[in-house]
Amino acid sequence: MQTHPAELSVGHPRRGPIGLVVETLVSIGERRRLIWYLASSSIRRNEGKSVLGNAWLILDPALQLAIYYLLVGVVLRRPEPAFPLFLFAAILPWRWFTMAITSATESVRREGKVMQQIAFPQIVLPAAAIVSSVASFIFGLIPLGALYFVYPERLSVWVLTLPVIMFVQVLWTLPLAIALSAVNVFVQDFSNLVKHGLRLAFYVSPALFSFDRLINIAGNYPPLDTILLLNPMVWILNSYRSVLYAGESPDWFALLITSLTSIPFTLLSIYLFRRLSPSFAKVL
Amino acid sequence: MGIRYDLKRSRKKVARKAATQYERLDERGRFWALRGVNLRVESGESLAVIGPNGAGKSTLLKVLAGIIAPDEGTAEVRGSIATLLKLEAGFDDELNAEENILLVGEYLGIPAPEMRLRIPEILEFADIGEFSNAPARTYSAGMRARLGFSVATSIEPDVLLLDEVLSTGDEAFKEKSRKRMVELMQKARAIVYVTHDLDAAEEFCSRAIQIENGRVVADGTASDVIDAYRRRNLK
Repeated sequence: MQTHPAELSVGHPRRGPIGLVVETLVSIGERRRLIWYLASSSIRRNEGKSVLGNAWLILDPALQLAIYYLLVGVVLRRPEPAFPLFLFAAILPWRWFTMAITSATESVRREGKVMQQIAFPQIVLPAAAIVSSVASFIFGLIPLGALYFVYPERLSVWVLTLPVIMFVQVLWTLPLAIALSAVNVFVQDFSNLVKHGLRLAFYVSPALFSFDRLINIAGNYPPLDTILLLNPMVWILNSYRSVLYAGESPDWFALLITSLTSIPFTLLSIYLFRRLSPSFAKVL
Repeated sequence: MGIRYDLKRSRKKVARKAATQYERLDERGRFWALRGVNLRVESGESLAVIGPNGAGKSTLLKVLAGIIAPDEGTAEVRGSIATLLKLEAGFDDELNAEENILLVGEYLGIPAPEMRLRIPEILEFADIGEFSNAPARTYSAGMRARLGFSVATSIEPDVLLLDEVLSTGDEAFKEKSRKRMVELMQKARAIVYVTHDLDAAEEFCSRAIQIENGRVVADGTASDVIDAYRRRNLK
């Protein structure tokens, strides 16, 4: 790599918060190939790991759907019409969310060795985790397609707005992924905590129960209903459900607000990450 | 320039060493891996860094590589850097040789098209034969070392940082790597070479510093410093 002889490669003067965040965003752009490479090599790694490899990305959501259908639909007898599709419309994005967060949380800690040997912008690690997690969504479209054979009346043209909703989901996945990956470096067993946190979040989301039913229940425990309304994933899941299950347009206004409110969190998490990243190589 | 490790956060290895090296603890009981290092390496210089284990030599390289930032003072490097800290830096076990070469290139910021051009010569130098299509986890330690050396030395950096990298491989490879080192030293603008091999240090470097307990205790021409170090250690 030939750079101009006088170019400073180590020892840049300390930057203020805005400069730091801007520099990070620029470096993400510059290193997009590295992000892509890390993401695709992690997907390929999963191919080799088990007998079924990436086919699990199709089986897992299908199995999860079956289990929740039995639990909520049959045992608890709280089904909605076309219950499997009702469930899957939320399971699909939620699985993606869980995979992205779980893999991002471990992403920095896992590459401790490389960080000790080569200097590179560590922000690419959680970024690559998010990119590689999209594979789980894509593979999950297959069982979704199968469900539309069973409930063809539920398929509508609004399904084409999926990428927009996915984009909003990424906007909120980013700050969490970045912040959690940094914290995980310093706190032992943090990823275990995150795993349980995600599970809890799933149960209090409109994934298993309809939003109306959830709001009703939450209304009995006052702060809970406000918390519910403040949770961005609630709005995002509702949008998925409108589009995939109800065949209606998503709530555009809610999506817009949700997108905009994510921006300060993302900037803050980037700043946090950059302030903590010089210590990564020392701790790992 | 100094590097400080917060005892609470450093690995146990470091903490244990710290308990027996009182000179490196400051008033607050924090362990300094390096302290008070003032060093300037000019274009055209090759610097050997010698000293006992745990002295702080690898830490110095990490600072120069931009992996660790100093807790006290500043460190500046001008020009592109290639480091050979661990020969398999950046390798992913599931990928084959070619993919790993591209991956390491990406880590270093070298675009894939440019790296692809170098793949044939890298593979040829490393001499791993059919294994270039197999995942890296099937490679022997020697193969990984050869491949790592081959990758890192195929890039032509302005500044070359080396940590004990010439002692691997059989005689034939050692000869090849020596030759390559000489070529690189002629092309690179500056070299910092950490080693225990005093002969190699004398052969390749014009200047040497000796680090002990986190401080630079000797700084001069390679032959002077190395001779003095030899004499002290033979006593």
